[in-house]
Amino acid sequence: MIKVYKELNNILLVNLNIKEASLENGDAFKAEVIKLFDKYHKSIAINMSAVEYIDSSFLGSIVSVFKHLISFQADVVLVGLSKDITNLFALTRLDKVFKIYNSFDEITNQ
Amino acid sequence: MAISKPKQILLVDDDQLFLKLIEQVFKKSGFKCTVAPSAEAAIILLQEGTKPDIILSDYLMLKMNGFEFRRYLMNDPAFKDIPFVFLTFFSDKDLVEKGLDLQAIDYVIKDTPINVIVSKVNNILFAVDKQRELSENEVKKAAKSLNIKSIPVKPPQIKEFSVDFWHQAYHDIPGGDFIDFIKVNDRYNFIVLGDIMGKKWMAWFFTFGFLSYVRSAVRFAAFNEEYSTAKILQQVNSIICFDEVLKDILSSLSLLLIDSETNRITYAGAGDLPLLQYSNETGELTMVSSSGLLLGLFEEGNYSEKEIVLNQGDRLFVFTDGMIDFIDKTGKKSDYNQFSKTLKPFMERENNFTHIAKSLFTDSLNEQVDDRSIISIYKN
Repeated sequence: MIKVYKELNNILLVNLNIKEASLENGDAFKAEVIKLFDKYHKSIAINMSAVEYIDSSFLGSIVSVFKHLISFQADVVLVGLSKDITNLFALTRLDKVFKIYNSFDEITNQ
Repeated sequence: MAISKPKQILLVDDDQLFLKLIEQVFKKSGFKCTVAPSAEAAIILLQEGTKPDIILSDYLMLKMNGFEFRRYLMNDPAFKDIPFVFLTFFSDKDLVEKGLDLQAIDYVIKDTPINVIVSKVNNILFAVDKQRELSENEVKKAAKSLNIKSIPVKPPQIKEFSVDFWHQAYHDIPGGDFIDFIKVNDRYNFIVLGDIMGKKWMAWFFTFGFLSYVRSAVRFAAFNEEYSTAKILQQVNSIICFDEVLKDILSSLSLLLIDSETNRITYAGAGDLPLLQYSNETGELTMVSSSGLLLGLFEEGNYSEKEIVLNQGDRLFVFTDGMIDFIDKTGKKSDYNQFSKTLKPFMERENNFTHIAKSLFTDSLNEQVDDRSIISIYKN
């Protein structure tokens, strides 16, 4: 579900390869991100450009992973959200919680 | 009689000819088929969101064989419970035992006539459905006997307003949406709509923890005559952030206070969808947003309150995200603006709320993907 794209000094760039992010894959997503964090011990940028739909259960999994990482002073950064998902984040104020970028380039060029 | 959804089967075999043949037969029998020429390809399909009701996989394949494929799925919580049937030319007894050790539901020899294979798959799916139904009925019976409800039986009677609600559980199983109407006195009434992040029984179980805290915070506020919805939300959030069980569970919440004396409505929200306010004068639906974050996210939830004034004939809608989710030809979608557009024509010609709510989802494209809850507050 998650493939490592590149490891930078302070952040790990990963691709989330699912079309529908829902209850069915939320727990597996959470387990994979936490496993990656345990291995790399750094913030994680998740490219979600393949995701077309996200339900509230999966949103819960993302927030839960975020809470876990911030307890270790690391961050979860979201990349490539579709227009619908960006709207959903704005409507529910999650855009105030997560750093959101259009592409990995925006992170690497910082 | 309800038309049942076609079952989806994932067929995995590196023999292209056999794969095509078996796909055609399953399609003719009413199945929705997805095919994969290898276990690796099947894994990619599953990871990309294919959700089969059953997997029928060959044993002998290049690179990853059927057993390795099954073992891989068993180690992934998202896939381990999908019924799995081995299909092979081998009739070796050891192989059968090995396959069954991997919790494969059945083992089919490829020489078996294909219509018999289809019947076998149908029987397995029937048995799986029956088992699921029995388990759900048991839990439903237990919940009923405990007399616990996360959705009220009827709407409240509130002076100067007509309040109504509509709720539809996802797959007819209680889920994470919860509604409450709390009457303080003839003047003050609270309206609560929450949505635990999750679905079905697991989310439903936590609704009672959240509801208990909301009810207590509202009662304490009323006792102290502090009618601030934002302060109540902050209090609920603080308690949840310290609750060992609930602190890892997130929920949205819309909290409204109706003052029947001044006709004012005070609203504060926690990660909820903006409300929709219909003006009878202009015929427009406008968004009413709040600033608060989901309950349980941070100790400081940034809750603030808004005052809403409804004039005669105006209406306010409070709803959960299941109302804005739908499925079209390209897949599942969440579209708030689309929901607002769908709702608007009903406002102009229809006044019966229950009829409005039901009519919103008569379109065949609007297959349900989550719990749906909507509360309507109408100013008489």
